[in-house]
Amino acid sequence: MNDGWNIVVCVKQVPDADDVTIDPDTGTLNRSDAPAVLNRPDHNAVESALALREAVGGTVTAITMGPPPAKAVLQTAVGAGADGGVLLTDRAFGGSDTWPTSLALARAAEELDADVVICGEESTDSSTGQVPPGIAAHNGWSQLTYVESLEPRPDEDVLVGKRDVEGGYERVAAKLPVVVAMEFGANRPRPAGLHRKIFAETEFEPVEWTASDLCIEDRVGLANSPTKVGGMDTASPVERERVRVDDVDDLYEHIMEVL
Amino acid sequence: MTIDIDDYRDVWVFVEQHEGDAAPVSWELLSKGRELADETGESLIALVMGDGVSHLAEEAVARGADHALLADDPVFEPYRADPYGEQFRALVEERKPSIVLIGGTHTGRDFAGRVAVPAHAGLTADCTELAVDDEGLLLASRPTFGGDAMATIKCPSHRPQMATVRAGVFDASEATKDDVDAAAAVEEVNVVVTEEDTLSTVIERVVSDVVDITDADVVVAGGAGAEGDFEPIVELAEALGGEVAASRAAVDEGWVEPARQVGQTGKTVRPHLYIAAGISGAVQHLEGMNDSDYVVAVNTDPNAAIFEHADYGIVGDLHEVLPALTAMIREKQEVAV
Repeated sequence: MNDGWNIVVCVKQVPDADDVTIDPDTGTLNRSDAPAVLNRPDHNAVESALALREAVGGTVTAITMGPPPAKAVLQTAVGAGADGGVLLTDRAFGGSDTWPTSLALARAAEELDADVVICGEESTDSSTGQVPPGIAAHNGWSQLTYVESLEPRPDEDVLVGKRDVEGGYERVAAKLPVVVAMEFGANRPRPAGLHRKIFAETEFEPVEWTASDLCIEDRVGLANSPTKVGGMDTASPVERERVRVDDVDDLYEHIMEVL
Repeated sequence: MTIDIDDYRDVWVFVEQHEGDAAPVSWELLSKGRELADETGESLIALVMGDGVSHLAEEAVARGADHALLADDPVFEPYRADPYGEQFRALVEERKPSIVLIGGTHTGRDFAGRVAVPAHAGLTADCTELAVDDEGLLLASRPTFGGDAMATIKCPSHRPQMATVRAGVFDASEATKDDVDAAAAVEEVNVVVTEEDTLSTVIERVVSDVVDITDADVVVAGGAGAEGDFEPIVELAEALGGEVAASRAAVDEGWVEPARQVGQTGKTVRPHLYIAAGISGAVQHLEGMNDSDYVVAVNTDPNAAIFEHADYGIVGDLHEVLPALTAMIREKQEVAV
């Protein structure tokens, strides 16, 4: 297999974490106040996908699931250098938890004949980290999560990932097709080239697939999501003394008192 | 795709282990699992997977499990997602547990989905609170966005109700039963995976001096204010016999390894004393240290949010304050010796 790999990178549009506020009356998040951006860890996924394409050849296709405005994150990926983008958009997807979400992405990856699917470690809005292993599980593919770096071995149809594990690391060789979750901050995403960026914003149009295009219309959405949000509470703030001290001697005394 | 949820019963706890050593979160989940099982009137069952790990199955019983299931085979060492997921899935489908708890470690979060997806189970990630309601439904709560809110997740019509649970949030169970009882309560199960079926190979595993900041009594954490020089933080942590930690800003800059990161995308710590040096106090960081007994803040910015979340604060440069503090502590230690 020397004509390169079909590399799929999954991206997500999220509210900008720095601008999300809590409604003091209801305790729920005012997500709509925040501008929508590409999930920060996904920048690392896009960078890995592009670097992998440089190493083994092939194509990088970005996919996202969301309402039509989610096209913007595909533009970001294409601006950075992805060859194309697929938007999974359909009212039938509404209310999907990680189970149907990973099913839709898994079916799309299959449709794209993916050799490697790369995701960010988790999303900054729901932060479950469950979608990458979910994609792998739906398709029965191998997986590499918490990946710090990748080493492709195209002659063996294998991708080696260096994984962060508690207290160290491990290097795991995974058979293709494989789903990778890149650790947040694992690499330095390249800036988008100006011409590519202009192309992404003016000429690029994503391919659009609905749930029925993927033959999963009766397996997605709220009704097929095992988990339901049962309630939202504002976390009770911990009461602190909030004593200001003026010099290090005082601070030392306080520390000695509590130790 | 509806199932009869009444067919499912019992609380399962996955005992995570590496090379025969249990991960601390395993025993934390066992004590919480005991509470939940007592409330629902069901059994608490420990699941142990590995190679030559019957001692852990017995230890799980000694620490409170009613039974332990043991899948003992070389295919389970070292850990890989696909054999673990496949074995666990087969057991879940055969024995139908109602609640399954797995540590929210890299290992647990790596393979939990490989059980939940084929079982079409509800899986809630990275929980920090667990309870059962009047109907015996698991209420799995987790911090959401920035940690200012807690979302409670339920799984009304699918089973099992699975949750990965953050390390350090529950107290570990202690051994209370004697070993004779323990061995009899261990059931060795049929291993359904073979090496030929596996999709991955561990080429190299380098684990040494496991840094576990979640267990530390004293944590000295540095942030952007360290400006690339963590020496004062390391020195103070040494003098206090504590662990060094960091905010995401310091980890992103590469000053400190990710295993020491405190916060939403890092670890939750709950030491007796938490010293935040050069950390502004973003909500994502506060979420990881709010359970500390005492918080001390050192920051040059008198308006930094961290002061609102600290018991004692001093406005100053950590490069001046911390060395002075360290010198005083060392001086006292010398006098004591």
